[in-house]
Amino acid sequence: MEQKLTKRDLWKLFMRLNTMRITLNYETLQGVGFMRAIAPVLEKTYTDKEELSDAMRRHTQFYNSHVNGDAVILAVTAAMEESTGPDEKEGINSLKTGLMGPLAGLGDSLIKFTWVPIIGSIGASLAFSGSIIGPILMFILYNIVNIGLRYYAIVYGYKKGIGFLNDNQESNLIQRISTMANVVGLMVVGALISTIIKVQTPLEISTGSSVTGEVGENVIAIQEMLDQIMPSVLSLAVTITVYHVLKKTKGSHAAMIIVIMMLLTIALTYFGIL
Amino acid sequence: MTMTIIVITLIAFILGIDDVSTKMFRRPLLIAPIIGFILGDVQAGLAIGATLEIMWMGIGNVGAYMAPDLITGTIISTSLAIMSTNGSIETAVATAITLAIPTSILAQQLLVLIQTINVSLNSWAKRLADNADVKGTFWLIYPPALLTGAARAVPTFIALYFGAGAIQSAVDALPTFVINGLETAGSIIPAVGIALLMLAMLKKFELWMFLILGFVFSSYLGLDILPMTLIAIVFAYFYEMITRKTAAGANGANESSKNTGEEEYDL
Repeated sequence: MEQKLTKRDLWKLFMRLNTMRITLNYETLQGVGFMRAIAPVLEKTYTDKEELSDAMRRHTQFYNSHVNGDAVILAVTAAMEESTGPDEKEGINSLKTGLMGPLAGLGDSLIKFTWVPIIGSIGASLAFSGSIIGPILMFILYNIVNIGLRYYAIVYGYKKGIGFLNDNQESNLIQRISTMANVVGLMVVGALISTIIKVQTPLEISTGSSVTGEVGENVIAIQEMLDQIMPSVLSLAVTITVYHVLKKTKGSHAAMIIVIMMLLTIALTYFGIL
Repeated sequence: MTMTIIVITLIAFILGIDDVSTKMFRRPLLIAPIIGFILGDVQAGLAIGATLEIMWMGIGNVGAYMAPDLITGTIISTSLAIMSTNGSIETAVATAITLAIPTSILAQQLLVLIQTINVSLNSWAKRLADNADVKGTFWLIYPPALLTGAARAVPTFIALYFGAGAIQSAVDALPTFVINGLETAGSIIPAVGIALLMLAMLKKFELWMFLILGFVFSSYLGLDILPMTLIAIVFAYFYEMITRKTAAGANGANESSKNTGEEEYDL
């Protein structure tokens, strides 16, 4: 099947992909944005006005995915609109709904839960030492993936077309990358617990000699003791506690938990426990 | 000062639109240093940006769930913190953390409102589709873009223009132990962001093992994030391979047990 879209058309698709989320709304989420992004492609594919109108209507339906998933789906849709006959058009919508869930999950686990925490913590540690390189490095690393992957996905998705779906079913690519991203992300999160969260107690136990009655001869700093057993054990304890509270409340009261933690920390520092 | 506030308001407008389109600047660490630069204190901007970045690490929109608005929250809290604390970076960071939470949550409500208003775009889009008007689709994004920009710019202007004085006197009035407590809180609160990440990622019990691995590598062995990530990729590769093989192996085992069953039957 010959592919009609030129590099210029794909660039246009990329530009419209970038502004797709502006029309996000509670009825169709990105439905309007999807139709707007694909419209120039449809115009090129359908010469008949009635057909064009039908195609545009088809793409205003409910749609939502991750931004990099959007790129793949838009490109595959563009390729499919070209290659399918008039009675196969329903397949395009089922392709969209079939891909948007898995690709959203992949985008989230790859970028939001893995890449952003990694570059965020690298950037933040540089910024804490007062270096402007921190945010600049984060900006570059973030956007190489953010913008680069989006453009690549458009070009690759269009070239592969329906083949993308077949390839994916054969090798289960989305699932495999998701699993790997999940593991990398979790190991990074485990590392972040000890590098980023700092819970330290100035508490001391003084074991004064009972004979002389002197207090404070042998002072044991509790923090030192804890560090010998397990470094950052308090950070781990706080994180696991918050995790369980969040799990109980299904993650919906994060802001409330932050406020409570602030008040608690102020109280605990006041009494010299933290 | 009014000029500075107007410049920050403009930045809020631009970053507000960037957040829903190109998404190039949507993290606190990328926004706060810019604000710090405009207000003439890059160091405070860096410290606030790094703290907020880590604090909000696990926060992001997932599906239709709308997260606290980090853009407006970062812009307002960074500006007010730098404007109302004279030079002390620690106090500025403590002030920014305190302000970031209410501002992000209030601003989030505005975004919910905009997504509700945006519902009206659907009938416009359907009308365009009915007329097969491809040229007309070009304009679909402009009204909501203006609205989203304004949703960031207007609160920023109001907060900076009317809030700076009030925040300054509030910071001055706060007892030192509260400021100290807030500074400590800044390094404990990231636990919430990390716990949110865990909530999203720990889908199976066996995945806890990787969390333990990461923690041990970092706390006992003192590895940095970058070498840690490279090791993680190795583990991820083999974990994925093993889970795939076991899944295939389980299917294979079922088939072979069927076969032996048949053989026994033959005998």
